[in-house]
Amino acid sequence: MKDKLGIVVGIGIVAAVIVTLYFYIINAGNLELIEIFPIGIVLILVGATAYILWDRIKNMKKGYPAQDERLKITNYKACYYGFIASIWSAVFAPLISGIFFDYELPGNYVTALVVLCGGLAFMLSYLFLAWKGK
Amino acid sequence: MRMRTRIKELRARYDLTQEDLAIKVGVRRETILFVEKGKYSPSLKLAHAIAKVLQTTIDELFIFDEEDK
Repeated sequence: MKDKLGIVVGIGIVAAVIVTLYFYIINAGNLELIEIFPIGIVLILVGATAYILWDRIKNMKKGYPAQDERLKITNYKACYYGFIASIWSAVFAPLISGIFFDYELPGNYVTALVVLCGGLAFMLSYLFLAWKGK
Repeated sequence: MRMRTRIKELRARYDLTQEDLAIKVGVRRETILFVEKGKYSPSLKLAHAIAKVLQTTIDELFIFDEEDK
């Protein structure tokens, strides 16, 4: 029951993100490169989440648990890497922007980068660890 | 320390597939695959469950080799 609820909530969140992104793109008009980059990261995150949800549904249909002890450990490890990536992106994003591009990043951009970097690190490490088995 | 297992051998003895064993111990098939290959060290609880299904002991199921120095 708990697994099913998790899957339903996950599908709801993915749908909400896609709808939000759709309205953002519709209203944004001409997108600049700096806007396309985060949209790309969001799309990668949405795609990876959809894959994880599909994998869980597939396993549940076959009679396996949606998440077992190995995947729980994988989840914890991926959360750790995502957390580390968030912290370092908060430190390095303004530094790199200032030093290499001579541009002071606004606070909301830094926040967005922290969320995207953390999410990307979580997703990539989750998929890698799940594939590798450790 | 390198871990080897006798899961594959014992599965064959009892005519169990990875899928059958996974369902019996309540994990995903990939987890059995990784345990079999020695890529994932299972929890004591899972090791005990696998040993019980394969009618053996944890000691006989998991073999730890000392790595060459």
